[in-house]
Amino acid sequence: MRKTLTLAVAASALAAAAAIPAWSAAQSAGSRSLPPSVALAGDGGEQDLLRLASGEDEDDRHGYPMGGRHGGGEDDEDDDGDGHGGSRGARSPAPAGTVAPPPNGLFGNGAPPQVQVN
Amino acid sequence: MKPLLTALALTTALTLPGLAMARQVTLTTKLDSYGGDGAYLAFYVTDPSGAYAGSLWMAGGKSKYYQHLTGWERATGGDTRQINGITGASVGAGRTLQITFDLADALFDAGYTLHVDAAVEDMRDSPGELAVPLTAQGAGTPVRGRRYIASFAYDM
Repeated sequence: MRKTLTLAVAASALAAAAAIPAWSAAQSAGSRSLPPSVALAGDGGEQDLLRLASGEDEDDRHGYPMGGRHGGGEDDEDDDGDGHGGSRGARSPAPAGTVAPPPNGLFGNGAPPQVQVN
Repeated sequence: MKPLLTALALTTALTLPGLAMARQVTLTTKLDSYGGDGAYLAFYVTDPSGAYAGSLWMAGGKSKYYQHLTGWERATGGDTRQINGITGASVGAGRTLQITFDLADALFDAGYTLHVDAAVEDMRDSPGELAVPLTAQGAGTPVRGRRYIASFAYDM
């Protein structure tokens, strides 16, 4: 009886020793299943910055100041082109040159603005 | 010959007012070296009564950050249709943004004011970064912003 009990305890200990690290590893893998990717942003005269870009989990930040990129931030030229995830669900605007300026009466001839960043 | 001259006079008469109604204006905005990420900048105009007249330019393409441009957001309700076709990238610290438009002549010397709101990631928002009346006399005069803009001027 005593021998059986000893075997049972030993088997339990072995199972626990194997299961705990495996469970822990599974938890870690889940938490970093979407690793941030590094992208170079910018084209032409626009600013070139090394940015961290990740998924949509930062999109609903409405805190003050303007939302951080800790653990996955934003850049101007990345994946926001789908127009979703904006504040109040607003679509992102069409970039200059892709459509005519709005007919708000401010622009004399409807020509797109010429932009340069130095 | 006479019909040709008549046609020429007519086309000239029709064209000249159109040319006179717009003028080329360049906005030059130099940012301070504030040590942060690119600034979102909203350029918009209010009429003599202070009511929103329209947007001229949005530097920064992600609508989720427009709420930090408080003056513009309040004026437009965050309506991104106001800035379709007049949106570009945010502007890095220390850089200079230069935008050239054909703007309606009626905006000048008529009580209109150009406003700029600014916001930078992880830094304080700056609604009302600057406001300048649009006048022929004010052209070329540099103005300093409250927090992020080292100098701003419009030339025509």
